Amino acid sequence: MILWIFALHGAAMVAAALLGRSSIRRGMAAAGVAPLVGAIWAISQLQGDNAPSTEEIVWVEQLELVLRFSTTPLALMMAALVSGIGVLVFVYGVGYFDDTAEGGARFSTTLLGFSASMLGLVLADSVWTLFIFWEFTSVTSFLLVGHKNTYPATQAAARRALMITGAGGLALLAGLLILADNVGSTSLSDLSPASGTRGTVAAVLIMVAAATKSAQFPFHVWLPGAMAAPTPVSAYLHSATMVKAGVFLVALAGPAFGDTVSWKVLGMAFGIASMMWGGFIALRHEDAKLILAWGTISQLGLIITVLSIGTGKAVFAGVSIILAHALFKAALFCVVGEIDVRTGTRNVSELGGLSRSMPIAFAVAVAASLSMAGAPPLLGFPAKEAAIEAVLGLEGLEQLIAGIGIFGGSVLTVAYTTRFLYLVFGPGPETTVAPVRWAMTIPSAILAMAGFAGYVFIGWVNDIVIPAATQVNPASDKYELIAWPGLKTAFVISMAIIAAGLALGWVIANRTQEAPDARGANVADRTLDNVLILADEVAGRVQHGSLPVYLVTMILTVTLAGTIFLGDLDTNGWVAWDSPFQAILSATIAIAAIGGVAVGSRLGAALTLGAVGVAMAGLFLTHGAPDLALTQLLVETIVVVGFVLGLGHLHRRFPPVEPTWRMIRLFVAIAGGLVVSGGLLAASARPVGQAPVEALQEGSVDPGGGNNVVNVILTDMRALDTLGEVVVLGAVTLGILALASTRSTASNR
Amino acid sequence: MSVSLALAIGTLTGVGLYLITARSLSRIVLGFSLLGHAAVLALLTAGGPPGEAPLADKTTPELTANPVPQALALTAIVISFGLTLFLLALARRQQILSGNDLVEDDLEDQRIAVRAEEVDLLDDQQSDETQQAPGVSS
Repeated sequence: MILWIFALHGAAMVAAALLGRSSIRRGMAAAGVAPLVGAIWAISQLQGDNAPSTEEIVWVEQLELVLRFSTTPLALMMAALVSGIGVLVFVYGVGYFDDTAEGGARFSTTLLGFSASMLGLVLADSVWTLFIFWEFTSVTSFLLVGHKNTYPATQAAARRALMITGAGGLALLAGLLILADNVGSTSLSDLSPASGTRGTVAAVLIMVAAATKSAQFPFHVWLPGAMAAPTPVSAYLHSATMVKAGVFLVALAGPAFGDTVSWKVLGMAFGIASMMWGGFIALRHEDAKLILAWGTISQLGLIITVLSIGTGKAVFAGVSIILAHALFKAALFCVVGEIDVRTGTRNVSELGGLSRSMPIAFAVAVAASLSMAGAPPLLGFPAKEAAIEAVLGLEGLEQLIAGIGIFGGSVLTVAYTTRFLYLVFGPGPETTVAPVRWAMTIPSAILAMAGFAGYVFIGWVNDIVIPAATQVNPASDKYELIAWPGLKTAFVISMAIIAAGLALGWVIANRTQEAPDARGANVADRTLDNVLILADEVAGRVQHGSLPVYLVTMILTVTLAGTIFLGDLDTNGWVAWDSPFQAILSATIAIAAIGGVAVGSRLGAALTLGAVGVAMAGLFLTHGAPDLALTQLLVETIVVVGFVLGLGHLHRRFPPVEPTWRMIRLFVAIAGGLVVSGGLLAASARPVGQAPVEALQEGSVDPGGGNNVVNVILTDMRALDTLGEVVVLGAVTLGILALASTRSTASNR
Repeated sequence: MSVSLALAIGTLTGVGLYLITARSLSRIVLGFSLLGHAAVLALLTAGGPPGEAPLADKTTPELTANPVPQALALTAIVISFGLTLFLLALARRQQILSGNDLVEDDLEDQRIAVRAEEVDLLDDQQSDETQQAPGVSS
C-alpha cells in the first residue's frame, strides 16, 4: 500500500505539472489529491492495534541496499501530520495565489515532491532509505525557498538553506554509516544501543544533522531567510514538517543513543540555546513571518531538549509537543499569510485592529496562540504540562538547567505571542482589508480546531501518542495526556509562565524598537562567498589549462605509486638476454627510440619510429610469435607512410621548448621508464602461471580446425572480440575520412 | 627474465612519456606509438620466456611459447595502429585549421584561472581604497 501511495504522488506530480501550467491554483488543487489519500490511509492505519507492516524494494540484497518502509506508530503519526497538513496547505495555496502568479507548474510539482519525500522520510525503515529521503527534502526545500528566483535576497536565502541542510546531510550519512556498523543492522525499527567511541562519534554526527535540519542554534540562520518562500511553503515545510525531520531523527535514534552522554548533553545544549535565543529574537522582529520563524526555532529547541533528556516522561512530552506544535504553528502561518494577502503587509507595526475586520483569523490566531502558550482547553496545554512534569521528575543539575531553560523559553514564547496578537489584532487604527478568501480561511480554521479537538478527544490522541513514544523509550507507556490535572505543581508553574509572559509581551509591545539585523545569516553568507573565492583561486592554480602539465602530474603520481613494487627486486632469475638476437634488437629499439627524440625533423622522427617498429617485429620472431611479427611489419609500414603523408606539409622542424620545462619532462620520463623496467623485473620474481598450451593445441586442431593456435584463438575462441576490433577499425576509418575532409571546409571560408 | 628486454621496455616507456608531454601533436602521436610498443612487449614477456611458434603440427607443448598473450598482443597492436592513425588525422586537421599542430591550453580551464585573478585584483583594489581613505579625509 505504501508503494502505491508513492506511485499516486508521482502521478499527481505529473497532473500538477500539466494543470499548473495554465494556473497555479489548478496545479495546487490537482496536487492536493495525493496527500488526501495519504492522510486517509495514515489515519485509518492509526485506528486499532495494527502490527507494523513492512514493504520493501530490494536492490542489492548483500549490501542491504533496500528501499524499506515500515508503519511503526511514530512513523504513522508523522505520516498523518505530513499528509494531513499537506492537504490543508494545498487547499490554502488555492486561495493564497492569484491566477496570474508565475511558475505554477514548477511550484505545485515541487511542493508535492516535497510532500512525497517527507512521507518517505518518516516511513523509512532502513538507514539508506532515511538518508535518501532526507536529502530529497533538503533539495525540494531549496527549490521552494528560491521559488521567486529573480530576487537576489531569495537566491541568497535558498543557497544558505541548501548549504546548511546539505552539510547536515553529510553529517547524517557519516553518522548513519558508523551507527549501522556499530549496532550491526541497517534497520531503524530495531536499533540496539550504540556503544564505545564510535557510538559517541555517531551520536554527535547524527545530533548535528538533526540540529541543522531543525534549525537549532547556531545552525538556525537559514530558517529566517527561508521565509522568503511563499507562505504555504513556510506553513508546510518550515514549521510543520521539514524542520520536524530533525526532531523526528532525534526521536528515532533515541533507542540507540538514549544512554550516550554526548547525545544528551549536545541535544540539551542545542535545544536550550535555541529555545532562549529564538524566543529573544522573536520578541524584536516586526515582520510577522519572522516572529513565527524565530518562534519555531525556539519551539523546536524545546522538543529537542525534552527528547534528549530521554526519560520516559520526557520522551512522551516531546512526542506530544511534536503533534501539538505542528497543528498550532501551521495555523499561525496560515493566518499570517491571510493577513499578508488581504492587507498587503505583514509588518506588525503597520497593522492593527484586525480583530473586527478579520474575526475568523482572529479566533484562529488566539486559539493557536493559546495552544502554543500551553493554556487549556487546547492540545498544547497537556503537552506542555507533560514537559514540566518531566523536568520536575529530574534531579540535581540536570533539573536545574532543563528547568531554567524550559521556564525561560516558555515565558519568551508567551511574550512574543502576546506581542504579536496585541499589535496585529489589538487596538489601533484599523487596517483596510480585502474580501475574505475561504480557501485560505477554512484550512487555518481546521488546523486551529484540530488543536481544540485534540483536547476534547484526548483519549484518541493518547492512543496515537503513547505507542509512538513507547517506540522511542519503552518507559513512556506509563504516561498519558491529562485534560485537567488539578492544582498540582506543574499547573502552577504553567500558569506562572503564562502570567510572566503576558506581562513581558505587553510591556515590549508598547515599546518602539528596531528590528535586529541578520548578523548570523550575513556571517554564513560571507563564509560561503569566501569558500567560493577560495575554490576559484585553488582551481585557477591547479586547473591552469596546460595539458602537458596535467600529464606530467599524472605520470609523476603513478611513478611514485609504482615505486612500491621496486621493493621486490631480486637478482635471482635474471639473465642478461635469452638470445644474442634479443640483445641486439633490444639495443636497436632503445637507440632508435632515443634517437627519435634527438632527431630534430619530423621526417627523421617518423623514420626512427619505423626503425623501432621493424626491430619490434624482429623481437617477436625471437620470442616465438611470427604472427605478431607479420602484423607488426604491416602496421608499421602503414603508420610510417601515414606519418609522412599526413604531416607532409608541416614545418620541417619541431618548435623550440623552454629549457627548464624540458628538464622537468626529461626527469619525469626517465623516472617513469626506470620504474617500469624495475617493476617488470620485480614482477618476474613471482611465479608465472603455467599456460594450458596442451589443451589449446588440441582445441585448436579439433574443433578449431587449424594448426596455428594464435589464429584459432582470434577467429574462433574469442571471435566476438575480433569482430569488435574490426568494428573499431571501421569506425577509425570513418573518423579519418571525416577529419580528412576538413581541408575543403577551411578553403571555402 | 631478460634484463635487456626489461631495459628496452623501460626505454620505450620513458621516451614515450617524454614525447606525450610535448606541445606538438605529431610528437604526441609518436609518443603514443612508442608507449603502445612498450605495452605489447610487456604483455608478451608477462606470458613467460620465449619458445617455439605455437603451431600445433610443428612443435610439442613443452617447447611452445605461451599463445594466449600473443593473441592479446595482436589485438593490442591493431588497436594502437587505429589510434595512431586517428591521432595523425587529428593532427593534420589541427594543422589545417590553425596553421600549426600545437596543443592549446584548455579554454574552460583558462577561464577559471582568469576569474581567480579577477577576484585577486578586486581584493587588491579594495585594500588600496581602504588605505587611501584616511589620506583623503585629512
